[in-house]
Amino acid sequence: MDFKTFVFYMFATIMILASLRVITARNPVHAALFLVLAFFTAGGIWMLLEAEFLAITLVMVYVGAVMVLFLFVVMMLDINLDRIREGFWSYLPLGAAIGLLMVAEMVIVLGGSYFGLDSMPEPPAAAAGYSNTRELGRLLYTEYVYPFELASLVLLVAMVAAVALTLRHRKGTKSVNPSQQIAVKRNDRVRMVSMPTEKE
Amino acid sequence: MLENYFPVLIFILVGLAFGCVPIVLGRLAGPHRPDAEKLSPYECGFEPFEDARIKFDVRYYLIAILFILFDLEIAFLFPWATILKEIAATEGLRLFGFFEMMVFLGILLIGYIWVWKKGALEWE
Repeated sequence: MDFKTFVFYMFATIMILASLRVITARNPVHAALFLVLAFFTAGGIWMLLEAEFLAITLVMVYVGAVMVLFLFVVMMLDINLDRIREGFWSYLPLGAAIGLLMVAEMVIVLGGSYFGLDSMPEPPAAAAGYSNTRELGRLLYTEYVYPFELASLVLLVAMVAAVALTLRHRKGTKSVNPSQQIAVKRNDRVRMVSMPTEKE
Repeated sequence: MLENYFPVLIFILVGLAFGCVPIVLGRLAGPHRPDAEKLSPYECGFEPFEDARIKFDVRYYLIAILFILFDLEIAFLFPWATILKEIAATEGLRLFGFFEMMVFLGILLIGYIWVWKKGALEWE
């Protein structure tokens, strides 16, 4: 076993253990942090495949941004664990059936006949000067340009949805608007009153 | 190529050791006699008021999701930057590479202007 294989198995073991802890950890915050570890090791495995850009993007986008959002949601939910655990046994048959179905589907798709080394041989070693980022760019920005433009629409829809769902303007806040503050004229604040001089 | 990343692996291992070894050493070498008072969360000397998990403003979530969206937008720029010259050198695709990204950025710019006009970037 050469060193690369050793590193792969190390990352893979950590990833599987972390993913198991994601679904078994009682504290949702711990589960989210184990998910961070799983993403991180997945990034390591992509790095072993020489997919540097994807590995860094995984760490940057998922660990840096998506998990922050997860933690926000976990914090905001104000979860009462005892109430969630109620009815575990009554839901178990349905849940177990769906879980088994999904496992069966995954075994069929990812099983040896479709996904083994016979049907998908190991890719040849990359030539010197090969850059995964360049290859990715070449495909994404020439052949798959239409899905790429669609991606921006998906992001736009997500933006609009997030704003529409969560934006509430509160009444009676004491926030100040700096541009209005700067644009204030003397006449808005001071009223000159001309009065007749009073005589004694 | 992977040899270049060997120092990164060493850094990860050293970082892990740096974080874990003191904790493990402290746990093994130090006395360990917990009681309820020692294990309770320390809150500046007085009794903790309430659970750490409280409902807080949904606006933090809005800021976070807008951050993710523009973060993703930036992530698309990196492979584009590596390949732009090559696309421009291809016959028939001269300015294609430039304008496809401008369309992408333009669609998101519409969203950005809308979000700005809507006041979602303001913190009341």
